[in-house]
Amino acid sequence: MGRLTNKLIAKLFTRFPSLAEKWVKNAAQSNIQGQVEDIPWAPFNKELKDCKIAIVTTAGVHLKTQKPFNMEDPNGDPTFREIPLDASKQDLMITHDYYDHKDADKDINIVFPIDRLKEMKDRNEIGSISGINFGFMGHIQGAHIDTLVNETAPQVAKKLKEMQVDAVLLTPG
Amino acid sequence: MRKFTEETKPSRAIFLKWPLGHPLGEPFKDKQHNAVLREAFNALKTIKEPGTIIDVPFRWKRDDDWRSVTIVTKKT
Repeated sequence: MGRLTNKLIAKLFTRFPSLAEKWVKNAAQSNIQGQVEDIPWAPFNKELKDCKIAIVTTAGVHLKTQKPFNMEDPNGDPTFREIPLDASKQDLMITHDYYDHKDADKDINIVFPIDRLKEMKDRNEIGSISGINFGFMGHIQGAHIDTLVNETAPQVAKKLKEMQVDAVLLTPG
Repeated sequence: MRKFTEETKPSRAIFLKWPLGHPLGEPFKDKQHNAVLREAFNALKTIKEPGTIIDVPFRWKRDDDWRSVTIVTKKT
C-alpha cells in the first residue's frame, strides 16, 4: 500500500475505533502472538520522587534533524531515535503513517509528555528525567519484529540502564 | 487496542479506551495528561503481578462532531 492509503486507513481507524479493533485483533495474532514468552519484571521499591524517569514512545517522534522513520517499507522501521531532554518542541516531529497524528502535531505531549514530566519534576513528584529519551515507530511487522526484539529494543534497554533510569513511561501512537 | 497490550506483555500497563494517537488525551488539556500520568505512576507502585493491565475508566465522550470531544476523567 502507498503512503496515502496508509494515512487514509489511519484516519478511518481513528474515526471508527471498531475497525481498528478488528484490524488489531488480526494483526496481533499474525504478528506478535507467541513472540513474547516471558513477561519481564523488575520490582519497584523506590519512592517516585527519587526516581529518574524516561519516555520511550512508539509514536514516531524524532528530531527534525534526524533521519525520518522509513515509511516506504511496508514492514515498518525497527530503528530508534535518541531525543535529548533539552530539545525544544519545535525541534521535534512525527513520522508515522499508521495513526492519525494531527492532534499530536499540535501538542506533542499527547504522545510524548515531556512537558508534563518537567512539571512533575518541578513539583518534586519525580526525581529527574533521563537526559535522553527514545522514539520508535510502532508499526513493526515481518522480519523487523526479530530486529526490534533482539537488537534495537535491547540496545535501548542497555542505554537506559547505563543512564540509571529507574522507570520508563512507554507511550503508543 | 487492548489486544496489542496483551500480546506484547509489558510488565505493567494501564489501558484507556481512547482513540489512536491520543494516549494522554487531547492537545493542550494538561489536566487530562496529568490524570493519565497519575494513573500510570500509581500502577508502577501498585501492580505486583507481572503482566497486569489496569483498565482506567476514563470516558472519551464524543459530541456530534467527532473532533469535538470531551474527556470525562471522573471514574465511573
